[in-house]
Amino acid sequence: MDIAEVLKHTSSEHFLPNLTATDKQGALAEMVEGLISGTQISRPDAIMQMLTSREALGSTAVGPGIAFPHGRTLAVQRLTIMIARSTEGVDFDSEDGNKTHLFFMLIAPPQDSGHQYIKSLAALIDRVQDGDLRDSLMAAEDYEGFCNAMKEN
Amino acid sequence: MHPQLQLLVALQDLDEMINETANQGTELEGLGFKHGGLDELKKSRDDLATKIEPGHLSWYKRLTGKFGHAVVPVVSNLCTGCFANIPSSFVSKTNENKVQKCESCGRLLYWP
Repeated sequence: MDIAEVLKHTSSEHFLPNLTATDKQGALAEMVEGLISGTQISRPDAIMQMLTSREALGSTAVGPGIAFPHGRTLAVQRLTIMIARSTEGVDFDSEDGNKTHLFFMLIAPPQDSGHQYIKSLAALIDRVQDGDLRDSLMAAEDYEGFCNAMKEN
Repeated sequence: MHPQLQLLVALQDLDEMINETANQGTELEGLGFKHGGLDELKKSRDDLATKIEPGHLSWYKRLTGKFGHAVVPVVSNLCTGCFANIPSSFVSKTNENKVQKCESCGRLLYWP
């Protein structure tokens, strides 16, 4: 899947450039709060419950300094991607024990029968393997700069 | 939202996650995700199920077997399971404390 297609599922309202939480639950809560703000989503508790259960299955901090919290819940009507950054870093139970600085949170409805969110997840994971890109994403001044860096070859 | 419906929504989300891990675990593990906590997740799911009234749980199981999803959102006054019209009276004060079913397909209705 093309990265520009993936980014259609997010927006400047779903970009948190400076997470303040430093632990996993706090970071998830901050991202869920950001996700629902300005939308019709009314059940943040259901999203939190799903994400917490998903993290119990195994941490989603699978990249170097990057996590991809994800899952399906009835609380959303379409695939929505929340992007967040933390300069200080979050203890997200990563395999290498290092702090997590970059987050792509993908929340999909159960009816996502084309597995759009797994394809999006795969595209994002593939894209951020590049260390120089990760540095650019952390340095991006705003949402537009972040997306431009993601789309650059 | 009715507390029982809230539990049914959480149950369906957990079932979705367990099924996805079972059916697409290899693909997800290929992306780097680990699923070491699956047994624990199944236990949480079973614990949650004990909090649901037997009648609702039985209905949930029957619908899941028949349709895949037992609980569906109502969007634009339509059941998104069978697209039957859901009368606005369903959301009246009289009904807000009940677990609502679609009169056409029987799915449990959730207003997002």
